[in-house]
Amino acid sequence: MSNQVGGIFSQASARIAKGVADFLPGLLAFILVFAVSILMAFIARRMIRSFLRGIDFDQRVRHWGFTELAEWSPAHSPSLFMAGLTYWLIILIGILIGMSAFDASVTQELVLRLLNYLPHVLAAILIVTVGFFLARFFARSVLISAVNMQVQSARLLSLGVKWLVMLLAGAMALEHLGIGGGIVELSFGILFGGIVLALALAVGLGSKDMVSRSLERQAGRSADEEEIAGRFHHL
Amino acid sequence: MEALSEETREQLGRIGAADVVLGIPTFNNRETVGRVVETSLKALANHLAPQRAVIVNADGASKDGTPEHLHEVIGEKVPLVQIRYPVYPVRRLSAPLVGVPGRQEAAGALFLLAKQLGARVCAVVDADLDSITEDWIDRLVSPVLDDGVDMVVPCYRRHKFDGMINSGIVSPFLRALYGKRLRQPAGADLSFSARLVDFFAGQESNSNGNEPSFVDPWNTIPVICNGFRIGQSFLGPRVVHPREVSPDLSDTLRQVLTIVFDPLDRTASFWQRVRGSEDVPSFGPPPEVDAGNTEINVKRMIDSFRLGCQDLAGVWNLILPPATLLDLRRMLRLSDTDFCFHDDVWARTVYDFALGYHLRVIGRDHLLKALTPLYWGWVASIIKELQDSDAEAVEQRLERLSRQFEMQKRYLISRWRWPDRFSP
Repeated sequence: MSNQVGGIFSQASARIAKGVADFLPGLLAFILVFAVSILMAFIARRMIRSFLRGIDFDQRVRHWGFTELAEWSPAHSPSLFMAGLTYWLIILIGILIGMSAFDASVTQELVLRLLNYLPHVLAAILIVTVGFFLARFFARSVLISAVNMQVQSARLLSLGVKWLVMLLAGAMALEHLGIGGGIVELSFGILFGGIVLALALAVGLGSKDMVSRSLERQAGRSADEEEIAGRFHHL
Repeated sequence: MEALSEETREQLGRIGAADVVLGIPTFNNRETVGRVVETSLKALANHLAPQRAVIVNADGASKDGTPEHLHEVIGEKVPLVQIRYPVYPVRRLSAPLVGVPGRQEAAGALFLLAKQLGARVCAVVDADLDSITEDWIDRLVSPVLDDGVDMVVPCYRRHKFDGMINSGIVSPFLRALYGKRLRQPAGADLSFSARLVDFFAGQESNSNGNEPSFVDPWNTIPVICNGFRIGQSFLGPRVVHPREVSPDLSDTLRQVLTIVFDPLDRTASFWQRVRGSEDVPSFGPPPEVDAGNTEINVKRMIDSFRLGCQDLAGVWNLILPPATLLDLRRMLRLSDTDFCFHDDVWARTVYDFALGYHLRVIGRDHLLKALTPLYWGWVASIIKELQDSDAEAVEQRLERLSRQFEMQKRYLISRWRWPDRFSP
């Protein structure tokens, strides 16, 4: 009896030892890959930080109008932000590669799915970035043109244009990420359609007095502008 | 520039050589070109008879029969060469300031022919002038032939409120930076010496797709910077046939200021060394200003300025330093009666925009159009001041403005050299 119990314990111990022995190499490989990725991330962060400082990236970002990026960045430095982003990205990739060292099909499948999802994430980031650029550009164009035409609600128009473009970019990004599915499309369609309908009704019915006053001011402005641009030439 | 056609080469061969080339760029100007040509023919016969003259018509593919009508009017009186110049789609995107769309390409075609003919002077006049007289051609051509001037810019008789962009920005800016007192540097009817024609023709052949072409003969900056002699001729009033499409004010400002601000980078070493300014040779009778009193309501202009202060503050914050913004805020609090845009503030504002253009703080088109409400503010201020002034008072007032631009030049140079120290 005691021999049987001893035999069961030793078999169990042997299985545990075998399991640990199977797991340990994978763990060691993961630790090694993780350590290498930390080292590479550290080096990449230093290199990117000095490169971006060398090309005066912080100043350029401010000149391009991305003051929000500067404000959100650590120490208000977009260079540090980009360097930090690269650092964590390399570590994340290192973790994903390290996890593939474990001989577990579930883990491998998880890694594959994450790596397959990465291009969608990058595309979504690109869409949002381009959308941000375009939103700022169109908003500023509308603002300056509306002010030059002496439209009183220039800022409101500009803000509306900016948010419309950002919403469009956001909806496209979410569609790429596969988040929300049909709900996002439907919500965006309702929102966008609602805004367009509201504008049409405002111009057609609700704001006709305001529009006619604005048009009168415009005609008056044109008449006055003609005083100097019709009788006189600016150039 | 397209190569000359066989027909044009044959014509040039038959003509041989010429002393005076009179260039008339056209683009759908059938209604007005006849008068311009008839006046030019009289001028060539009565004032420039000893000179061998050729009229060159550069046409941008007119659809109303302008070249045929011009040919009919000239007949056999004077040798005529007609050439096509390309009007690229980009030139049709906005209405031209003066003259024809693609006027740079038209000038290139004219210079090519003037060079082939060995002309001593090439004069260019607009085809839509209603007020051209015989004296115009003589006053454009004679200074080049007789006085060794390389470029003659026109000086028109204008109302005191005409050409405010010229009076308020272009003339004082160019005077302060490049040291030449040109009353109306942005003129449309010009003449060029053979030396200058060779220079422009050489510039065009050197320019490639990567570099901005320096060939805009209506821009006096390259002429001044390359040591050519520039003069001005008083021509009288300038009346042009009304156009179907004219650029609006913000587009006009954008086009003009692009021409003025673009060369600043390339010519920085020149204008930073220039101190003060000097008169240029003037020809013709003394220039006159039409000081007829005209009541103009400036309230809307002041409102435009106020709207700009209110809604474009975020944009101006990127361009103007705190001191200038503070001055503008002070002006915002003034009533319509007390409203005044001081010369030093206006000069510094223009210089700040020039610097903003150079540093590309925001998109250049946006930057230049954002100047419009400030320009309206300045125009309102100057109109209030000069409403009841005579010609002499107007001249003195504009002279004070130009001097202020010269005095503030140090401010521009400091900000140009150390932008970080003064950055908004």
